Amino acid sequence: MKSSLNMASILINAIKRLHLSPQIRLCSLNSAAVTTTTANKTINILKKEWEFPPLYTKPREVWIENLDTVEEKKLGLIELHPMVYAAPPRIDIIHSNVIWQRKYRWVSWAHTKTRAEVRGGGKKPWPQKGLGRARHGSIRSPLFRGGGVAHGPRSGKSHFFMLPFHLRLHGLTTTLSAKLAQDDLHIVKDLELPTDESQYLVDLIENRNWGPAVLIIDDTDYAPRNITAATDNLLHVNIMPVYGLNVYSMLKHDTLVLTQAAAEKIEEKLLYHLHSDNRERMKKFKIDQV
Amino acid sequence: MATVLRTHSAFARLLVGKNGRILNNSLDLGAKLLPESQLALSSKHYSSYGKSPFVRKIKEQYNYEIEKNPPEWEYVKRLLPFTTIPKIIPKDSYPSGWVPPKEEALNHPYFLSRTKNAELPIYLKITYRGMRKISIIRKIEGDIWLLNDEIKQYLKQKNKRYVETRVHEVARLIETKGDYVNDLREWALSKGF
Repeated sequence: MKSSLNMASILINAIKRLHLSPQIRLCSLNSAAVTTTTANKTINILKKEWEFPPLYTKPREVWIENLDTVEEKKLGLIELHPMVYAAPPRIDIIHSNVIWQRKYRWVSWAHTKTRAEVRGGGKKPWPQKGLGRARHGSIRSPLFRGGGVAHGPRSGKSHFFMLPFHLRLHGLTTTLSAKLAQDDLHIVKDLELPTDESQYLVDLIENRNWGPAVLIIDDTDYAPRNITAATDNLLHVNIMPVYGLNVYSMLKHDTLVLTQAAAEKIEEKLLYHLHSDNRERMKKFKIDQV
Repeated sequence: MATVLRTHSAFARLLVGKNGRILNNSLDLGAKLLPESQLALSSKHYSSYGKSPFVRKIKEQYNYEIEKNPPEWEYVKRLLPFTTIPKIIPKDSYPSGWVPPKEEALNHPYFLSRTKNAELPIYLKITYRGMRKISIIRKIEGDIWLLNDEIKQYLKQKNKRYVETRVHEVARLIETKGDYVNDLREWALSKGF
């Protein structure tokens, strides 16, 4: 039993080693951009010097694609930090984030009238004694048909609450990682399109099998004109800046497309929070704190 | 004072925000009102804001030059708060008894990363008014099941009894039934984590 277990673990490790060190890695150096020639093709690998480099888990290598042709071209490889892009898939954290995002903006306008607000009912319907009937003081009591509602919904009920800081933080990392693991996260060099036709984008999405709904994230507020014009009529293709990235939108869209700059900015911001003192942010949220 | 600085000078117009409305604050920021210009700031009442005259002839109170990255900036940087938790300075021994992680920790098929405060992620959870004690190892990378087998064997050897463990593969943590925090810490340090 023991020997078989050991054998299994040795095999697993061997497979892992194989998987984690592909051919490209052997030729790579520590410099920022490494060019490797394999069979008349050149590959640019972007290596990064992180302030907090990953110790054990290897960085994820992701293809950088292009948007200026319908057919996919691979322009290079980028290394992404495993703490952000290879976090364990915590479905429970994703779920709590989705519930939070639905609830914090939800105001319930359901409304009922109490016995005081229903018209009439001021007079005692019949005397207290002598008729053999049940005693009642008002025809608008909740026991009566057409009476007020006891403990009914009152309008303007806010469901706002704040999810703890680290659940929000890990919600982003785990969703990004899940998207990457499922091949639903693509990194493009920039958002420059040759035309402003939406049909071009539809063809591109169809060609690359990105699924109907695509969320495009850029690190600036102003996307190039062509892509804004092309996505204007496509309700299922949306552009968002980095600071708008959220779990709900990532799950709502089939594919997440990050520009290279956006991917690096997201990584930098999340790594900063994963390695800094967050006690100030972990405090109880107060509505009038600003 | 309700008088607002009304001026043609671009610098002083900048101050007509929150600071500009308070006279002393605007003066502190470096704008000095000459005697002639202070006429406008006297307690004279005008029929409306538009009727009040502009403040003229404002001179900068301090002479300064803007310099980027002077050598003294190093001393200012020492006073600035840390943005992230600083890295540990390597020493031979630490007075607190804290042990740094070793290089050889990376050679195992599993890995236990330190927390952002460089502590071992091994905790004790006490519930049911102290009736249930559970030791938790968090932040496990690599082969979690092999790590589980090894700590199980280690705890059995050390305590001469079977110790129940539970592996949470997705959250990357192992729970052991009972207070074995010190044993687990000892094991982790012996492995170099």
